[in-house]
Amino acid sequence: MNNKQFLTELSGKCQMSAESAAEQIQTLIGVMENVWKNGDSVSLSGFGVLEVKKKNERVSVNPTTGVRMLVPPKLVLTYKPSSLLKEKLK
Amino acid sequence: MDNKINLSQLAERMAQEAGMSKAAAEQFVKNFFDIISQNVLTEGIVKVKGFGTFKLIQMEDRESVNVNTGERFTIEGHQKIAFIPDADLKERVNKPFAAFETVPITEEQAAVIGQMEESEKTEEIKLKTTDNMEKKETESKKELKEKKTDSKVEKEEKTGCTGLKITVWILSIIAVLALIIFLLWPLIGGKILGRADKKMEEKAAVTAPAPAPAPAPAPAATTAKPAEAKFALTKEDEAKALPLFTIADTVNYKITGTLTTHTMVKGDMLTTIALKYYGTKKLWPYIAKYNNIKSRSFKRLPVGYKVKVPKLANK
Repeated sequence: MNNKQFLTELSGKCQMSAESAAEQIQTLIGVMENVWKNGDSVSLSGFGVLEVKKKNERVSVNPTTGVRMLVPPKLVLTYKPSSLLKEKLK
Repeated sequence: MDNKINLSQLAERMAQEAGMSKAAAEQFVKNFFDIISQNVLTEGIVKVKGFGTFKLIQMEDRESVNVNTGERFTIEGHQKIAFIPDADLKERVNKPFAAFETVPITEEQAAVIGQMEESEKTEEIKLKTTDNMEKKETESKKELKEKKTDSKVEKEEKTGCTGLKITVWILSIIAVLALIIFLLWPLIGGKILGRADKKMEEKAAVTAPAPAPAPAPAPAATTAKPAEAKFALTKEDEAKALPLFTIADTVNYKITGTLTTHTMVKGDMLTTIALKYYGTKKLWPYIAKYNNIKSRSFKRLPVGYKVKVPKLANK
């Protein structure tokens, strides 16, 4: 399912135009970003947890050249599906 | 920090942001995630612009080990929901760390990192009880040393430093083994030969009298060198075990000159030469000594090799 299909389905369910739905999606993402910025996680029952995790810096070695590289620490957005959703998957 | 924001809280914030009613916002958020979760199950992939991609990933069967029992078992292949954030979103999330870049490490930096790790370790040690203190310190020191040698190796040859290390290890192990075998050889070799002699002796007792002793008695002289002393030791042991063989079991011989020269033929060993010229195998160490044959080549003297057979005289 691509973005277009997603938009049409969402706009149909919420009875709004596709354009406004796209706008609302951007607002929602902006709100969630603020949540993550504060170090909080978005937890939705039946869907899962969207959380920003910090990955530590590490030294990686290029296997062909043997050059050691220092990979800096980073913040990564992670998603952990809820057990309910996992059950449905089976 | 570390709060969990649920659906209603999220909707509340969104209602403020977008200027819509809370109920509508909640409905919208609910639909948003419902559509994703449903369609990812039915279609396998959902792409949302500005957010990311949810998709089903097939995990292959893999083997694992039960931690408690150590039994091996297979984790059966299954599907898993993966989320790949949109590149833009990823960047925005990582904004606090965006200034960092992946950089190659130079030698000095590697040393600094090593020191940092070392200091971290010592701090840990301080925190822990004194029980493991010494042990851990030595461990961390060892690690530091290893790191130092590592970096040295890298200076010499940047690639394949682990390979070099392994070969050095293997070589040193082989060297140690060779040394042990070399040191123990007279003992082992003597025992084996002693056994062979015993058999010979039994045969001789059954069939005919023991071969006549060849070496002639002569004035005494005790100029036994350390190497001879070793042989002498094993010989004395054998003498205790085999009282019948009084001729050869002593160290009471000295080399007075060359009796003859023997050219090795196939099947010849120092023991057989000794048997031929002295009538006993046990005097072979004198031949080895006289010809300066090192212990490691006793068994593989080449055919055609000329062995000088020494003339032996009683002390």
